[in-house]
Amino acid sequence: MSPVHSSWWGRGRCRSFSVTHAIIAVFGCSAACALARVTLCTKQVGAARPLQAVSACSPHHPLCHQSDPTPPVSLLEVLLDDIILTHSLFQPTDRFLQQLHHHFLMASGSPTPCWEEGEVLPRKQAVLTILLHFLETFKGILQEDESAGKVIKDLYLLIMKDASLYHELEDEILKLHQLVETVELKVTEETQPPNKQVKPLFRHFRRIDSCLQTRVAFRGSDEIFCRVYMPDHSYVTIRSRLSASVQDILSSVTEKLQYSEEQGTREEALILVAVASSGEKAVLQPSEECVFTTLGINSHLFACTKETFESLVPLPEEIQVSPGDTEIHRVEAEDIANHLTAFHWELFRCIHELEFVDYVFHGERGRRETANLELMLQRCSEVQHWVATEILLCEALGKRTHLLKKFVKIAAICKQNQDMLSFYAVVIGLNNAAVSRLRLTWEKLPGKFKNLFRKFENLTDPCRNHKTYREVLTKMKPPIIPFVPLILKDLTFLHEGSKTLLDGLVNIEKLHSIAEKVRTIRKYRSRPLCLEMESSPSQLQTKAYVRQFQVIDNQNLLFELSYKLEPSSQ
Amino acid sequence: MPEQSNDYRVVVFGAAGVGKSSLVLRFVRGTFRETYIPTIEDTYRQVISCDKNICTLQITDTTGSHQFPAMQRLSISKGHAFILVYSVTSRQSMEELQPIYDQICQIKGDIQKIPIMLVGNKSDETQRELDASEGEALASKWKCSFMETSAKTNYNVQELFQELLNLEKRRAVSLQVDGKRSKQQKKKDKLKGKCSLM
Repeated sequence: MSPVHSSWWGRGRCRSFSVTHAIIAVFGCSAACALARVTLCTKQVGAARPLQAVSACSPHHPLCHQSDPTPPVSLLEVLLDDIILTHSLFQPTDRFLQQLHHHFLMASGSPTPCWEEGEVLPRKQAVLTILLHFLETFKGILQEDESAGKVIKDLYLLIMKDASLYHELEDEILKLHQLVETVELKVTEETQPPNKQVKPLFRHFRRIDSCLQTRVAFRGSDEIFCRVYMPDHSYVTIRSRLSASVQDILSSVTEKLQYSEEQGTREEALILVAVASSGEKAVLQPSEECVFTTLGINSHLFACTKETFESLVPLPEEIQVSPGDTEIHRVEAEDIANHLTAFHWELFRCIHELEFVDYVFHGERGRRETANLELMLQRCSEVQHWVATEILLCEALGKRTHLLKKFVKIAAICKQNQDMLSFYAVVIGLNNAAVSRLRLTWEKLPGKFKNLFRKFENLTDPCRNHKTYREVLTKMKPPIIPFVPLILKDLTFLHEGSKTLLDGLVNIEKLHSIAEKVRTIRKYRSRPLCLEMESSPSQLQTKAYVRQFQVIDNQNLLFELSYKLEPSSQ
Repeated sequence: MPEQSNDYRVVVFGAAGVGKSSLVLRFVRGTFRETYIPTIEDTYRQVISCDKNICTLQITDTTGSHQFPAMQRLSISKGHAFILVYSVTSRQSMEELQPIYDQICQIKGDIQKIPIMLVGNKSDETQRELDASEGEALASKWKCSFMETSAKTNYNVQELFQELLNLEKRRAVSLQVDGKRSKQQKKKDKLKGKCSLM
């Protein structure tokens, strides 16, 4: 488009040029303008200052004409990472890959405005670099996107067949081969591997031994069991893909409910409803997908007709153990805290980086893979309600105060473990209105613990955008389990605070901010978490307890229990 | 085990394809389906009377395949009464019931008070591998009750569930809900014990 680019980058042959050129070619010159502006500004003011990029710049802007030496490779790698992580905001992944593919094909052809003659090898190398970075980032979830997988396979074959590359780029080619063949794209065949296990997802299937196994990430193509209830609380269990649409689920249910051939097609169409323990009902639209992980802790799916919708009542509370006699009364705070941290680390690690991006931006393109992130959020809510439930089911005052003390200890140890998720969740749980109103119980708490809890409340104070918490977080070195809901809040704010496209041009600064957040998460997980825990039978019991909380999430019921324990003062 | 809710839970076990779902559906809906759809776990609810109160009969239809032993254990521990189904056309299906019976004994401990019914289904079939006498022999070995049924022809299905409830001695469960029985009937009931027939 504009000859300006040649003057920027000079005639060097180094890799960094090519990466930028590839990005330019793939995303169009306008994006590259912004990119260039970004790098130039940073170079001018120093890397410490935040990037000053604007979303677009005119080719005639004076800065653009400066003949500038190579932008630093590290900066370009950051920008490449930005784009790989966030391109789905403005371009579907398979299209991005198609352009990359196209660019590789064109590499041997005549020079375009963005390229000069004789740059065949650097161009191809650029494509390879981008592809490798892409595969590294998308590792684990590529098989979920069939069309993208196909483009990659084609491009991969094209590259592998290109003998001209072998001499210079042996390492990269080898790496590409490893990534493609061993990691991702072998399983694009029709049939699933025969022993593919159906994964337990729901509460009613969770009270089983597999809860002790290390958590593995869920993918949309995974099969799970799904229990769908009828208005009279009968239920059927169907097998379903995690990513199944409501329509699919209803088809399976209808087939199950067709009791004889004579019935033929059902008279009334069924609708799928999510019913919470409080009685709140939400009808799910036929096109909605991946609904399982969006359910509240004690919410269930019901299939009914439009007529029977009104009559739906939630399932009765299922607290099975006698109150006041659960595991938590028998186990040390430290053991509980460590098991919490270990479990939450597993859950945290299951979340793919891209789930964070998809979660916030799914509105633009329809859902993708956010199941593991949603399970983490669900768990966060579960921990909060666990704290409240345990306290409110503890009828003896002294025992209850002792339990309060234990929870404060648990929060303290989680914080020591740098498990801010558990820490926050326990504190929020203790601040549940039904719990905090238990004046007599709190009064009996020893002064030392009262002070400690007050400190914890300050730490979780949301004022000034959670300033205190953020400061504490910056002082921590990985491994860290962050308070995930806040990360999502930040990302949502970043998304809604600025436009992705301005006059058809991509807002690179926004992409960069989002990518930076994702890189922070990457940093938190960059070192393994090592907690020393024995595997004695009692420890396994505690481990099972921590992974299978039975909670009451019906706030009305929690209040009822609270008033029974301590009636309101006149 | 203290009764926490007023459900009366019956669990149906047996090998794949013996007709568990057919029996349950025939009882609950009065229908029969030729096509075979493997069950994972379904539960049907029906209002019945129990100690002169209304309670809910909950029938859990389980999977015949052995994929989910943990679900099986859970169903057993929560269940009040059990129906063990085999098909008279398959000797193997009767043999497959032994481990299930063993597990019930293991989990429940004292099974004397627990109603268990051994059922030989598909009695309408002509190509039999098992006689009724073999079923009776197994039932007497296990000290439980026995009957042959056919979900297809609706033979003995109602009777199966009624008999099962009759076996329950820990409380008075009955399929009859409204209790509007003739004096004659009531006298008959009193002589027989606390059970009432449909």
